[in-house]
Amino acid sequence: MGVYRMTWHRRHDAPWLVAFVLPAFLIVVAVQFYPLAYSAVLSVQEWSLTESQTPKGFVGLDNFVEELGDETFRRSVRNSVWITGGAVFLEMILGVCLAYLTMGSSWRMRAVRTLLILPMVIAPVAAGTLWRILLNYRAGLLNHLLGLIGIQGPQWLASPDWALVSVILLDTWQWTPFVLLVAGAAIASIPGDLLEVAAIDGASRWKTFLYIELPLLMPLLLLTLVFRMLESLLSLDSIYSLTFGGPGFSTYTLTFYIYTQGLRNFNFGAAAASSWIFMAFASFAIALVFWFQRRDW
Amino acid sequence: MKKVLLFLCIIALLPLGSALAQDMPHAGAEIVATYMQSGTYDIGAENIEAAFEEATGIEIELVASPWAVLNQNHITDLTTGTGEFDVMSGEFWIASVWDKMLPLEDFVERDEYGGDFIPTIWQPGPSGHYDGKRIGIPYSADAYGIVYRTDIFEEAGLSADWETWDDYIATLDALAMHLEGTDISPSVFSWGASEQTPMIFLGMYDGYLVDADGNYALDEAPALDSLNKMAGLLDYNPEGAAGLSIDEANSVFLTGNAATMICWVSFMRAAAQNPDSSLIVDNWAVASFPGPGFPFISAWNLFISEYSEEPEAAWEWVKFYINSEQATQRFVELGVGSPYLSTYEDPELMEAYSHDFPGMVDNLSRAQSVPWVFEAFEIFFRNTSELVIGSISAEEALANTLAGWSEVTVPPALVQSAAAQGQQQDM
Repeated sequence: MGVYRMTWHRRHDAPWLVAFVLPAFLIVVAVQFYPLAYSAVLSVQEWSLTESQTPKGFVGLDNFVEELGDETFRRSVRNSVWITGGAVFLEMILGVCLAYLTMGSSWRMRAVRTLLILPMVIAPVAAGTLWRILLNYRAGLLNHLLGLIGIQGPQWLASPDWALVSVILLDTWQWTPFVLLVAGAAIASIPGDLLEVAAIDGASRWKTFLYIELPLLMPLLLLTLVFRMLESLLSLDSIYSLTFGGPGFSTYTLTFYIYTQGLRNFNFGAAAASSWIFMAFASFAIALVFWFQRRDW
Repeated sequence: MKKVLLFLCIIALLPLGSALAQDMPHAGAEIVATYMQSGTYDIGAENIEAAFEEATGIEIELVASPWAVLNQNHITDLTTGTGEFDVMSGEFWIASVWDKMLPLEDFVERDEYGGDFIPTIWQPGPSGHYDGKRIGIPYSADAYGIVYRTDIFEEAGLSADWETWDDYIATLDALAMHLEGTDISPSVFSWGASEQTPMIFLGMYDGYLVDADGNYALDEAPALDSLNKMAGLLDYNPEGAAGLSIDEANSVFLTGNAATMICWVSFMRAAAQNPDSSLIVDNWAVASFPGPGFPFISAWNLFISEYSEEPEAAWEWVKFYINSEQATQRFVELGVGSPYLSTYEDPELMEAYSHDFPGMVDNLSRAQSVPWVFEAFEIFFRNTSELVIGSISAEEALANTLAGWSEVTVPPALVQSAAAQGQQQDM
C-alpha cells in the first residue's frame, strides 16, 4: 500500500516537479550553455569585428591551428604555467604553514588571522597598483628594505624574469590567506582523539602530521588547489595593473592574450579558439588534480 | 478638474515654449557624448554641460570611460548599429569604424567653422577623414617633445637647438661629461611604459609606414637604424630606467635628476611649475623634437555617429565644446594642449609660457598621427620593448613586427591618412 501511494504521489507530482525545475534548468542552459555553444561556433569562424559586422564564414580548425602556431600564444601558455605553478605551490605551502602557526581561539590568534586575510579582500586591480609602487626599482619599499640588509634589489618590473617573479609574488601575497582559511578550518575539524591516540602511541609531531593529519586534510587541500589553479589561470586584472603583460611579452598570460585578441583587437574567431584551448588546458590540469584525489590517502 | 489639467499642461509646456522663444531650434533633443576618463577632457565637458543645456535646451548625457573601454564601446556600438552614442571622442585607434561616422563637411561649410585651427591639426591625420571627407573635429593637440633643464644647459654652455637625433645624442654625450660625478642623468624616458617607445622610433625613422599596396610595412634599413639608435638611448638614462612608468620618469625630471626628458609635455607641464611637486620651477623649457621623423601627435577628435537620431543637436555640442575660447580655457585650467593657433598667440599666455610655447608650437606644426590600428601598434611596441630589455635584437624586433603585421589589415581610412601625411610608400 505504502509503495503504491509513493508511486502514485510521484506520478501525480511529476508535472509540478518539472514546472518548478524547468525555469531554473532553462536559466542554466541560457546563461551557461548558450554562450559556450556560441563561442564554439565562433571558434570555427573567421570574424574580426573591425573588418565585418558578421562572421566571414566557416574556416574549420584554422583558428586553432593558427593560435597553436602563434609564438605569442605559446609564450602566454608558458608564462601561465610558470605563474600559476609558482604562485599556487607557494600559496599551498605557506597557507598550510600559517594555518598551523595561527591555530587556536585566543584573541591574539584571531587578530593575527584577521590581519592575514586582509590582502584577500583588496580588489586585484588595486593590489596590482599597490605592488607596482612597492616594486619600484628606485623608490620602492621592497628594494629599500633589501638595501638595508646590503642587497641590491633587482629591476622587478623591467627584467623579464623578475617581472614573472613579481606577478607570482603578488598572487601569493593576495591568495595565501584563502588557503590559510580553508586549511585552518580543516585542521580544526580533525578529531582530537585521533591525535591523542597517536601521542599515546609515541608518534612524533612530524609523523602525526604526515600519517594522520595530512591524509585527512588532503581532500580539502586538493579542492583548494583546484580553486586556486583556476583563479590564478583566470587572473587578468592584477597583471593588467602590475605589468600590463610586459616588459615585452614577459608576463603575457593566456587570459591576457585572450583579452587582447577579443576585447582590444576584436578578433572574435581567434579569441574563441584560444578560449577553448584554454578550457582544455585548464580542464586537463584540474582532471590531473582529481585523479590525484582519487588515490587512497 | 479640467482647469487643473489645463494649468498642469501649460506648466509642462512652459520650458518648451520658453526654449522656442529663445531661438533654441533643437530644444528638447537628447544626446549622449563620450569622453575618455582622464580628469581633463571629461572634466572640461562637465564644466560646460549646464551652460550648454541652458543655452540650447538640448539635454546631454556625458559618458566617461577609461581609454580601452571607451574604444571598445565605440567599436561595439558602431559595428552593431546600436546608436547609443551621438557624439564620440576618439582618435585613429578606432579608424576601423570611421565609415560609420557622419561626414561633417556640410556642417562645417554651413557654419563657416574651423578656420582658426593650427593648419597641420586641421589636416587629414590629426583630423579624422574618411573617403576624403571630414568626419572628426580635433579638440586637443599634444605633440611628443623633449624638455630640458635650462640651468644645466647654461652651466654646461650647451644649447637645445638640435635638429636630428644624432645632434641630440651628441648633446647627451656632452651632458654626460658635464654631469659626471653627480646624480643627474643626461636623459630620462618612460621605458617601462612600453607603449611609449614607438614615439621615439617615429621621431628617428625616415621612411614609410604603409607600403604601396596599402599594407603595414617599414623601410627596413632606416627602421633597423632607428631601432638600434632608440635602444641605445637607454644608456643615457638613470639606473633602472627600463622599468620607469610615465609618472616615475616625470618624477625623475621634476626632482632634478635628469637634464632632459622625452615625454608628453602636457603630462608634466602643470606639475613642473608647481613648487609643491617640482624642484625645477622656471628652470626648464620645451625643445624641438628632433628629426628626420616626426613628433607623434595625440589629437582627440569629436565624431558624430551616423546612427545618431539628433545629428544637429550633436553638432551643436561639437561647436560648443570645440572653439578657441574653450580650448584656451582647457589649456589654462586643465593643461590640455589646444589645437588653436590663437591660444599660442595670446600675449598674456605667451609671457606666462615663454619656456613652453615656442617648442610646443614648433612640434605641433610638424606633428603627425600614425596609421596603426591597436593590433598593429601592440605588435610593434611589444617587440620594441623586448628590444629595449635586451631579449631580442633589432633585426628580430623588425622581423617579428613585419611578420605580425602581415596578418593585420589596414583600414581604408588609415591608408588614406598615411597617404595624406606622406607615410605611404611611393607607387
